[in-house]
Amino acid sequence: MRNIVVGSVILTWFLMLSPAAVSAFQEEGTLRVGGMWALSGPAAYIGKSSKGLSALAIDEINEAGGVAIQGKRVKLAMSVYDDACKAEEGLTVVRRLADSDKVLFSLGPTCSNVAEPVFGTLQKRLGDATDTGLQFLFFTDTAIKFGLAKISPWAFRNVGNEPAMFELAFKLVKERHPELKTVAVAYESDFAHSVSTWKGATKPALEKYGYQVLDIVEWRFEDVEFGAQVTKLRKANADILVMMTHTFSTCGAVKEFKRQRVKAKLMVGITSSASTETMVGCGQAVEGMIIPTNFATINPKAKAVAEKAWAKYKADSNLHSVPAYENLYAIKGIVEKVGIKNEPATLLQDRRKVRDALATLGTFQGVIGPIKMNGDNDPVKPRDVDKAIILVQAKNAQWTVWWQPPEMEKK
Amino acid sequence: MTETLLDIVQQLMNGIMYGAFYALVGIGFTLFFGVMKKFNLAYGSTIMAGIYLGLIPLNLWKQPMWVVFVTCVAGAVVVGFVVEFACFRYLRKGHELAPMMTTIGMLILIEDAVVIATHAAPFEYPNIFGDESFELGPFLIRPDYLAILIAGVVFVVLLYLLVNRTTFGRAMRAVAENPAVSQLLGVSVTRTNTLTFALTSALGGATGYLVAMTFGALQPGIATWMTIKGLVVIVIGGLGSIPGAIFAGLLLGVVEFQALWFLGISYRDIFAFLLLFAFLVLRPSGLMGKAA
Amino acid sequence: MDYYVAVLSIIGMHILLGLSVYVVAITGQLSFGQQGFYAIGAYLAGIGTALWGIHLLPAVLLGMTAAGVMGFLVGFPALRVKGLYLGVATFGFGEIVRLVFLNVRYTKTIGGKLVGPNGAEGFRHVSYIYDRGFTQAQYLAVIYTAVIIVAGFVYFLERSKLGARFRAVEEDEVAAAMAGINVTAVKVFAFTLGGFVAGLGGALFVHYSTYIDHQMVTLPLAVSSVIYPMLGGLGSFWGAILGAALLIFLTEGLRFLQEFRLVVYGALIILTMLFRPRGIIDEAMVLRVRAFLRRQVAPSA
Repeated sequence: MRNIVVGSVILTWFLMLSPAAVSAFQEEGTLRVGGMWALSGPAAYIGKSSKGLSALAIDEINEAGGVAIQGKRVKLAMSVYDDACKAEEGLTVVRRLADSDKVLFSLGPTCSNVAEPVFGTLQKRLGDATDTGLQFLFFTDTAIKFGLAKISPWAFRNVGNEPAMFELAFKLVKERHPELKTVAVAYESDFAHSVSTWKGATKPALEKYGYQVLDIVEWRFEDVEFGAQVTKLRKANADILVMMTHTFSTCGAVKEFKRQRVKAKLMVGITSSASTETMVGCGQAVEGMIIPTNFATINPKAKAVAEKAWAKYKADSNLHSVPAYENLYAIKGIVEKVGIKNEPATLLQDRRKVRDALATLGTFQGVIGPIKMNGDNDPVKPRDVDKAIILVQAKNAQWTVWWQPPEMEKK
Repeated sequence: MTETLLDIVQQLMNGIMYGAFYALVGIGFTLFFGVMKKFNLAYGSTIMAGIYLGLIPLNLWKQPMWVVFVTCVAGAVVVGFVVEFACFRYLRKGHELAPMMTTIGMLILIEDAVVIATHAAPFEYPNIFGDESFELGPFLIRPDYLAILIAGVVFVVLLYLLVNRTTFGRAMRAVAENPAVSQLLGVSVTRTNTLTFALTSALGGATGYLVAMTFGALQPGIATWMTIKGLVVIVIGGLGSIPGAIFAGLLLGVVEFQALWFLGISYRDIFAFLLLFAFLVLRPSGLMGKAA
Repeated sequence: MDYYVAVLSIIGMHILLGLSVYVVAITGQLSFGQQGFYAIGAYLAGIGTALWGIHLLPAVLLGMTAAGVMGFLVGFPALRVKGLYLGVATFGFGEIVRLVFLNVRYTKTIGGKLVGPNGAEGFRHVSYIYDRGFTQAQYLAVIYTAVIIVAGFVYFLERSKLGARFRAVEEDEVAAAMAGINVTAVKVFAFTLGGFVAGLGGALFVHYSTYIDHQMVTLPLAVSSVIYPMLGGLGSFWGAILGAALLIFLTEGLRFLQEFRLVVYGALIILTMLFRPRGIIDEAMVLRVRAFLRRQVAPSA
């Protein structure tokens, strides 16, 4: 009896592995797109927001009639998978999306440590038959570590440029608060994004604007006790506290600041902290923190997107999630312009067409302003974007705009 | 020089207070093993579940903190029963490793269930002991840590009284000593086990309530973290020994805090495990444990 | 097709991990630290090909040997502890290995890229097989060649006197010692072998994924590596193979559940343990299968 149960369970598993029914896409009236994000594990709150914003875009596009291909209007259908912020999961998920679900392109991944190896398995030399890498297009919304898109011509990203963001942040801080001269830094020594942002973006910016670093403390991403490190920060008595740490540990640390009566004149945070989760987790404690980001509800469109995403999907709109929304619209525009066949047999050619169009896209419209996609030949950041940087500040448990580019004033 | 001395004493005090928390978690694990001779690796997630269940009266019904406390304790007991039912009750005897595996499965299940229920968002527990540390001479004392230490002492005293002065306690000791003979002498082994489960889960719930306030933001990952700390404590202190768990918990706290202050974060974790290895090499059955 | 090749590749490497826990488990030692040997194999093999420019086979052998030597070294202190103590101690070992790699920084700039273990940022660009145009299918063959060699070795081990000694030690160490078995040698040998096998798995993995970092070899991998033989069954090495295959099929098959996956995963572990505490292919089943096969060979009694 038991063996029958076990046997049928095993059979069910095998069946579940089978790919989605492959009918002619155009025939069944769908355009398949994919998404792989961290939907479980410590980065889940970031991944879930991206998923929500993508679902919003798909709903809107489908409700407005869908995408026009070969004279017919087809609907977007998305295959979503969880990579749990783990490289191993990402490596199998990408193949599932590419081969089994046969999607045109994929959003995500959330984590840079997943993007790194996954992009590493993509084809490096376009059109080279001896290059056996995967010919699959990524248009990333979150993984932000500098330079990831360089790994393959099939990797494109609509993410923030952290070196530029922190350079701008400290430039403005220097201008508005010239009396602040010393900093103390905290980062998560076991989390790749924290380490690379500190080393690659924040440290150079501090050096450029002549700030004196009095002390640097470290803790782990999942730590819950910060007493020792905060005591060291208190002893450093710096003007500015630079917190290159993510929501959970940031909340723990700033509460410890209050406990030990550490009062910095200014706090600067990491990009990912500019989210609603931080406010829910410790709104009052981060009062006054300034963070460079790429999204704030500075115009009616942004407000509308944020409200709808929250109402429908409980998804927070922030610099990591809103690009998922923007990327889908961008791809829709490209698909309608270059004309793809949208059939299983032409999948590789379609992906290549979209890839080439994305590389030569130039500027497209984001939610708060124009976004410029750099081409394959950009020497510094090929296939990454340039977009507006906004600095937000925590005030009364809300992120308010501290500085926005002059051309965005009065909208 | 005096600065260093002051630092040592400050971190010693912090270490002892935090070590009380480690000790309480360790006591839970050791009670399971001592009485039921089984490993409950889902204990950490039971505590975590109790904490998260406490969020319901807190955020949804806006209840005062004492209601939250009761919910934590009751919630942990309920989850404890679920663990007992799913992982222990129907397990066939004679396979000592099977409860370890079922409770690992339960740990994974509960942790993920909480992630799903909370959408992986952070939540905070208001700290009833205040948001500021108070000064004691040149030292800063966290009132919530002090509360854990005091509560720890109270719980241990209550536990001692329970184990040594009540009929139930005698039943626990009997079953721990020899279940077969206890059964013959009229002690209901199943009832004792079930009540021990409830007691330990309740202790976990109370501990969880106190420690949740010390966190900046709750995350489901604390279940695994507590499990690892608890296991290290009982291995150092000896399986089945409550005094061992107490001493080991305090020792672990002290070592971690000293290592963190003087050597940095990398060494904190390494030293915790080196402490473990030192005990395994020098006293393989733990400080006060019987040979396993 | 590529997707199935990818899944089979991952299964292959995890089979090695499961087998490494198995060979140690059949001497009665449950090790929660095999992921540490996996990490050593991965990092050293990766350093071999990516930083020192040696070929795949020597690099894999390097990784394996380093892990095997470590296994030998761990085997001795492991003698002093049993049961849960051993489990926690081996997990502690695995964590120390992970923490060491978290802090190691050994990089060189090769071809304009920074290559080498770089602390928390991981060890990337281990692109040996992609640079040389290996297809996914070819590397799958490499992985399964390794699996078949290791499985074959374990098969012969189990049928040998040494294998009997392993089981004797698991059953009752005191009796085994009285029967003249060198218990120390058996247990340390098991750990060494486990180290070699896990190191092989890691060395193959790092070339498959081109990337390794400390977060990939922590608690979830420790738990998985133990679950494979425990779920699959401790009766035979087929158990580890079955366990790895089943659980990875499960992970993939349940992908549509997204975040509910882990809940189902945990529940399945519980259910399997309730119904078959020694795993699916437990000793009882092995005996039944053997008896069945014997009857087939000699049908007339």
